[in-house]
Amino acid sequence: MEGHQRNLYLYDRFNARVAGVSRNDVQTLKFWAEDLGLTFPLFSNTVGHLGIFFGTLREGYPMFSRATVIIDKWGTIRYLKHGSPDYREILLQLKALHEEEKSR
Amino acid sequence: MSRSTLFRFLACALLFLSGCAVQQPQPADPLAALRTPAGTVVWQQEYEFVPPPAPWSLIQLDEDDYSVAFYHSCADRMPRVFPCESTMAYAEEPFGYSRVFEERQEEFFERFLWAARVNFEEPRLEKTTLFGKEALRAETVGHEPVLAQKVLVNVIFARRGERVVAFYFTQWRPEDRAFDRGHIDDFNQFAESFRFLGPSFYQRLTSD
Repeated sequence: MEGHQRNLYLYDRFNARVAGVSRNDVQTLKFWAEDLGLTFPLFSNTVGHLGIFFGTLREGYPMFSRATVIIDKWGTIRYLKHGSPDYREILLQLKALHEEEKSR
Repeated sequence: MSRSTLFRFLACALLFLSGCAVQQPQPADPLAALRTPAGTVVWQQEYEFVPPPAPWSLIQLDEDDYSVAFYHSCADRMPRVFPCESTMAYAEEPFGYSRVFEERQEEFFERFLWAARVNFEEPRLEKTTLFGKEALRAETVGHEPVLAQKVLVNVIFARRGERVVAFYFTQWRPEDRAFDRGHIDDFNQFAESFRFLGPSFYQRLTSD
C-alpha cells in the first residue's frame, strides 16, 4: 500500500486510479488509512464476494490473500497477479495500457 | 608402549602440531568481484561508491529495492556495552511518500525504526547538496525507554530524477553511553562518493 501511495503521481500520469479492497470493516480501514497516511480509497467487502471473484478467498481463511488487478477503462481485466505487488511491473503495465488507450 | 602405538601417538601429535601452524582463513571480501581499479565498487550495475573502510562490513539484505548497507560493531572494543553498533545504508525507496524533503522527513520518522519502539526527538534539519542538487539532512536521537537504549540517526534525503532517495546512518548505544560521532564521517564519505551509473527505472519510465 505504501508503494501505491508513493506512486500515485505516476498513476495520475498514466490515467489510472488505485483502490484497495479488504474484508476488514470500515472503521478498521479508516484507522489503518490514517495511520499509514493513505489518500486513495479503501473498500470494505466484509462478505467477501470480490475475493471469491478474483480467487483470493482461501477456504478456511477469513481474509483475502494479496492480489493486484488492473481493469481498463472498458471494464476488462488486463492484469491479475497473486502475492505482493510488483510495483515496477504494475507501472509498466499501466504505461502500456495508457499508450493503448491513447491510440484507440 | 608398542611401536605401532608409539607411531599412532606421534602421528596424532604431528597432526595436532601441524593444525597449530595452519593460519585461520581470512574472511572473504564479499565486494572483491565488484571492486574497480579506482577503489570504488560497482553495485548491481546501478551504483558506484567507495565502501566504508574496515571494520565496516557489508550487510546482505533480503530486499529487492537496490539497497546497500554496511555494519560496524564495537563488540570487540567494548565487549560489555550493549547495544554498540552502527549501520549505514542507501535506500532507493525511503519511508514516506512526499517528493518535498521537509514533508518526506516527517513521514519518514513516522515509520523508521517503528519496530524498535523508539521515541524520536525533534529532528534537526540542515539544507545541503548531494549529486549537485539540493538535499536535506535530518539528525535526531531516538530513545527506547524500556530497555534504556538510544539511537543516533542521521539521514540525508536526496533526489534521483524526481523521486526522493535517502542515505541512513544509525548508531545504537545504552542511554548512559556517549555516541561515537566519528562514524558519521565514514557515512558522509560514503554518501559523497555515491554515483548513479545511469537513469533509474522511474526516469526511464517517464522519459518518453
